Amino acid sequence: MGLEGGRGMNIIERIMVEPFERFYEKLLVFLPNLITSLILLVIGVLLGIFVKWIFHRIFRTMNLDVLSQRSGMRDALSRSGFREPLSIILSRILKWLTIITFIIVAMQNLSIPTVEHLIDRMFLYLPNIFIAALILILGYILGNFFGRAAIIASVNAGITRAGFIGKAIKATVFLLSCTMALEQLGIGKETIIIAFAIVFGGVVFAFSIAFGFGGKDIAKNYLRKKMKEPEGGDDEIDHL
Amino acid sequence: MESVIRQDNIEDCIKSINNADILVGIPSYNNAKTIGHVVRAVQGGFAKYFPEKKTVLVNSDGGSTDGTMDVVQDATIDSLQSILLSHKVNPFVKITTPYRGIPGKGSAFRRIFEIADSLQVKACAVVDSDLRSITPEWIELLIKPVLEGGFDYVAPLYQRHKYDGTITNSIIYPLTRALYGKRVRQPIGGDFGFSGRLAKFYLSENVWETDVARYGIDIWMTTTAIANNFKVCQSYLGAKIHDPKDPGADLSAMLYQVVGSAFDLMETYSDIWKNIKGSEPVPTFGFRYDVGLEPVSVNIERMIDRFCLGVQELGFVWKDVLPGSLFDFFRDLTAVSLENYAIPDEAWVDTIYCFTIAAHKKTLNREHLLRSLTPLYIGRVASFIMETKDSTASEVEHKIETLCTVFENKKKALLNDWGWKGVEE
Repeated sequence: MGLEGGRGMNIIERIMVEPFERFYEKLLVFLPNLITSLILLVIGVLLGIFVKWIFHRIFRTMNLDVLSQRSGMRDALSRSGFREPLSIILSRILKWLTIITFIIVAMQNLSIPTVEHLIDRMFLYLPNIFIAALILILGYILGNFFGRAAIIASVNAGITRAGFIGKAIKATVFLLSCTMALEQLGIGKETIIIAFAIVFGGVVFAFSIAFGFGGKDIAKNYLRKKMKEPEGGDDEIDHL
Repeated sequence: MESVIRQDNIEDCIKSINNADILVGIPSYNNAKTIGHVVRAVQGGFAKYFPEKKTVLVNSDGGSTDGTMDVVQDATIDSLQSILLSHKVNPFVKITTPYRGIPGKGSAFRRIFEIADSLQVKACAVVDSDLRSITPEWIELLIKPVLEGGFDYVAPLYQRHKYDGTITNSIIYPLTRALYGKRVRQPIGGDFGFSGRLAKFYLSENVWETDVARYGIDIWMTTTAIANNFKVCQSYLGAKIHDPKDPGADLSAMLYQVVGSAFDLMETYSDIWKNIKGSEPVPTFGFRYDVGLEPVSVNIERMIDRFCLGVQELGFVWKDVLPGSLFDFFRDLTAVSLENYAIPDEAWVDTIYCFTIAAHKKTLNREHLLRSLTPLYIGRVASFIMETKDSTASEVEHKIETLCTVFENKKKALLNDWGWKGVEE
């Protein structure tokens, strides 16, 4: 009875207590790592804020905003929708780089094999993300640039749908850059290219049919109303 | 009567000519139809007004394929008696040469300046190759102020239709006058006289690989002469009639080139124009007379449509260039009736000065900025045409004078925005 009672206790110990003890031991090992990681995270955030503050001051002392304005970079950024001065944009990037670096260090400090493996894979994948981001940014800037050039040219040519043309060109350039970015990331590589080709080719084909064959008269009227100059003689002004 | 030097032996022949008194240059590119008349007018001018001088005609060609250079070589006045000349005339030399470098009128002029410098000429003139109204008197009027009056630069003064020369009348003349303080009425006329000294100075400037070589030469020559204190005057030449303009010529490209060149010169000479207040007339030569000018047809409704389209679509471009109140004014103008449509001088001057500041501060891509000016310019031209519909030539000139005064009065604000605060005080 006593022996059986001792065996029963052993079984309970093995089933119930030992896992908890192992968990407790692991927790004792993990907890300092977790606390260290949390501390690293907090330090990272605080350091990030400090980095942003100090670099903003340094950039302002260097007259970076004036230089960016003179070099035309401010113009390019403003065209791309970044209204803030370059000094703020750069210091914000540095802040987030600092925070992200500390997040990665904190996660590695946890010594979790899965997380470590994920971080390794992420580091290998990082160049692709960087290039894709670069492609997207360039696509956005170029889209804005060509879109605006198209609107101005269309307005100067007297085309009443100038806004639509500009937006279409902007969207096309950005769409193209999205396709390239996704291809860089390896997401649905061929599917995206095929989809883009089908959509783009389809749009062009649809327009060709609509304007060239199917809706000949409608297209004719449309072009006459929307794109042709109003009736009247040419101006004979010598502008120079 | 004349000797013709072809392109293959030019350098040797320039050496053999050694020196000359007067040189007239004609830049050309596929102007076979009109250049013959220009060459004959120059020859007539040499014979009639400078019979004892050693004279040279230089055709600087940009690679014409229509036989322009052959026309230049063959063109001559058969009998000087036909222009009532009986006195003895010195022979003149005709040089036809292709220019090298960047294609453009500026490069053609550079070749002319080089030959003028090599020949150490006393006076030069350049005339356009598409002129139909040039007479021998033009050569006298462009050359004599240099030879006998001691002037370095002679700008042309034309009788033009009240609707012609609108870029000159609404932007280039008032702006140049307000900036540099000299009332040169046709700063981009295209036909100029200048001294050998000034030709040498032009050559020494480091601009021949820039846009000046392509298209900005006219405003560059005038501004350089004024800003560097050369003695400037103007000569009344009568009507300027030239080959009909290319109907496909892009107005926005024209504005981009002409206004862009003027803005570039503002950067170059900002230290000079910041100190200049008001303006003064320059000596004017030539006998003023009225000319019957061909009517010019305009389509006001279409011009206003273009302006409205610009306001509707380009607001996002102009919001970084124009103050809110000015943009609101233009937006409100799109809703008024035709009778009430008007862009007053103040609004127009503010617009031009805002564009100069935007170009200076690089607020926007330069080409986008300048090309986006087109609808506003067309709107202003429409307003000007409506305002001067029943005006005589002298009344129109008076209105341009008023515009110039507004440009001059608002210069202080331009200086402040440019970054020259307190300069005028």
